[in-house]
Amino acid sequence: MLRLMNGLHLPTRGRVAVAGLDTVRNRKDLPAKVGFLFQNPDHQLIFPTVVEEVAFGPAERGVSAPKAHQQAMALLERQGCAQWADRNVNELSGGQKQLICILALLAMEPSILLMDEPFASLDLPTRLVLYRRIMALPQRVVMASHDFELLAEFDRIIWLDAGHVRLDGRPAEVLPAYRAHAMIVGVGDALA
Amino acid sequence: MMTDGLAPQTWLHRVPAGVKLAALALLSVLLVPVLDWRILAGVLAIIAMVYAGFGRVGMTRLSLLRPVLPLLVIVGGVQAASGGWNSGAVVTMRLLAMLLLADVVSMTTTMSALMEVLTPVLRLLRPLGVNPRKMALAVALVLRLVPVLLTQWRAREEAWKARSGRRVPPRLVAVFVADILQLADHVAEALDARGFDRSAADHHSSPL
Repeated sequence: MLRLMNGLHLPTRGRVAVAGLDTVRNRKDLPAKVGFLFQNPDHQLIFPTVVEEVAFGPAERGVSAPKAHQQAMALLERQGCAQWADRNVNELSGGQKQLICILALLAMEPSILLMDEPFASLDLPTRLVLYRRIMALPQRVVMASHDFELLAEFDRIIWLDAGHVRLDGRPAEVLPAYRAHAMIVGVGDALA
Repeated sequence: MMTDGLAPQTWLHRVPAGVKLAALALLSVLLVPVLDWRILAGVLAIIAMVYAGFGRVGMTRLSLLRPVLPLLVIVGGVQAASGGWNSGAVVTMRLLAMLLLADVVSMTTTMSALMEVLTPVLRLLRPLGVNPRKMALAVALVLRLVPVLLTQWRAREEAWKARSGRRVPPRLVAVFVADILQLADHVAEALDARGFDRSAADHHSSPL
């Protein structure tokens, strides 16, 4: 679903519109409007140093190299990460990498952020730090996750199962239903 | 957590990239005619001190170079077999010194600084169909992904050893190649998601 929203997958039938953009017709404009955070930051980080990574998006949109660098520095400064600017991304921890991925997306000034299990490999404290930062963002966030505790604070939860929408509503409705379902399936030993 | 384990910036980080590259080229040329292993040992000792100056990061960096050791041994062995022990030692030490010097430069220089130095050279190649922007991206990706792949290889190795307790068989390489291809796929998708425009890369060269 996230890949459909970002135009990485194109619909075979029907159409997908995100932020007023058709994912087929306006595919080129999508990356600027819709940021995509991957599960594994190592797949997303392209550049060896932090500031180059953050400057990539704007440079790709035609901002001159010095200006893009300047904007990236300003963004890092605002987020309290200026001291990482010239660091090699390989030196960063998992949480730091994920945060840089998010900042690289923010540099594009998107209106929607798509996140694919962004906390999958993080420890609990890091998870909470990152979660607080994500919740403070002005952008709309669409996140794929199995993380119950964190999902409770979202406005809307869509429960997908085998390609179908099982339930769509507020966390208070969806989460207990999902939990109950999980208990039944779990007792039945469905893995085997 | 979010702020631990970052390397300190050293004086070498502040030296301009052009100077470092020129020094690297000069030193490499100067090392070629040296045939006395004692001088090379001295050079290696100095380089080792530079690494030690980087502290823990320098040491981790050195351990990343471990995979090239077998290659050095083979080259040195072949040389020793044909030209005697002294020549084997000289060749091995010279190669190691060059490798470490190059590594010091890449460790203390950002990609953009390097590319800035190389841009005039790449511009000259433009009539031959070389696109400076694509080159920059290619260089960046190599520098970025080599450590990622090394980590991945080590993870495969560990998984194998943990489950079999035996040495890693050559066929694990096939699995690793599959890993590389999969990583390439993921990175391509990420570039796509970030709006990297292949057609534009052929026409203009804004980031350089």
